[in-house]
Amino acid sequence: MIGPTCHGCPDPTSTCPPEKFKAMKFRSSAITLAAALAMPLSTLAGEADLTVVAPYVRMVPPGTPNSAAFMTIANNGTSDRRLVKADSPVARAVELHSHTNEQGLMRMRQVSAIEIKAKSRTELKSGGYHVMLIDLRQPLKEGETVALTLTFDDGSMSRVDAPVRKPQALLEAEQASAHGRH
Amino acid sequence: MPTKTLLMALIAALSAILILLAVFWEPVPPRPIARIAPHERLPAATAPPAGGEFTLQGAQGNVRLSDFRGKVVLIYFGYTYCPDVCPTSLSLLAQALSELAPNERERVQGIFISVDPERDTAARLQEYTPFFHPQIVGLSGTAAQIARVAEQYGARYHKQAPDAEGRYAVDHSSATYVVDPQGRLTGALPHASTPTQIVAAVREQLASAASR
Ligand SMILES: [Cu+2]
Repeated sequence: MIGPTCHGCPDPTSTCPPEKFKAMKFRSSAITLAAALAMPLSTLAGEADLTVVAPYVRMVPPGTPNSAAFMTIANNGTSDRRLVKADSPVARAVELHSHTNEQGLMRMRQVSAIEIKAKSRTELKSGGYHVMLIDLRQPLKEGETVALTLTFDDGSMSRVDAPVRKPQALLEAEQASAHGRH
Repeated sequence: MPTKTLLMALIAALSAILILLAVFWEPVPPRPIARIAPHERLPAATAPPAGGEFTLQGAQGNVRLSDFRGKVVLIYFGYTYCPDVCPTSLSLLAQALSELAPNERERVQGIFISVDPERDTAARLQEYTPFFHPQIVGLSGTAAQIARVAEQYGARYHKQAPDAEGRYAVDHSSATYVVDPQGRLTGALPHASTPTQIVAAVREQLASAASR
């Protein structure tokens, strides 16, 4: 965790200008589906050291204003990288967050960056780091993908299509992968 | 002779330890409620939460804990603006409910109590909890009512300062409280308990209710 800040502190850079993503928004679903299936995803401009693996956005009950995106970011390069910003057209604000369990009290805080060490990987997962999607513009539907643009400290950007997944489906996937490891 | 002095000192030290042990040693008694929130790390002097009856607001009016007498009740405190911890916990609870046999499931009720009654109305909660499982009811109330019930059960929460748009998060504990069919708080399952652990806790309560 790098420089935790108060959740209440607004980050003026985290709001995504909708016009910037208009073109992306109306991509054909076939392309997004194909992109979602092609994992690990990597659409980095000029930098192939970072790969985003298994991204997803949690499907939330109808009318719920917030959700979160999770993924694993692998850094195959020789220098440490920091995820410094995430944008998405689906939410009015997008922030990088951490969760800490302080003697049973679950505390969520905005962080200024998420570090991915050289030759290492950082997991954004339930109960830990996440890309928080705040004030959703429309309900997230199962089967859709959410466009995310990740910006790293070296200026490189990664475009990710994260499928929307139901909590139940997530749970089954987690159990299956936990089982698979043994 | 230095060796002899050393030996005497050693004997004295060992005797002192033995005496101290004899005076202060108490075998650790078996914990009567082993599952009371091990993650909460309550100070030793604090009595375990008492639990007990409460009345809160459901979408169709007042809901009391005693409305569910005869059922094992699983209580979780959270809020609908929560992006991760609450949906995860409710999914685990929902998964546990669906793993129970139908005759067991009909004797179980889930309750989600909002620690953010400002934004979570009973109507809003009615939209929220059935998404996870139809047997989880969402309850709200006045800030004072919620605070009282949270204290009864040992749940903690703390609203964070809102940002410029008035958005805020609420820090909160994430235990699932287990209430037996007589309405008594029997323990708390810590955050991230698996469906298997939740199912086991429910079956334990159903079995002990049946043996009485
Ligand atoms: Cu968050």
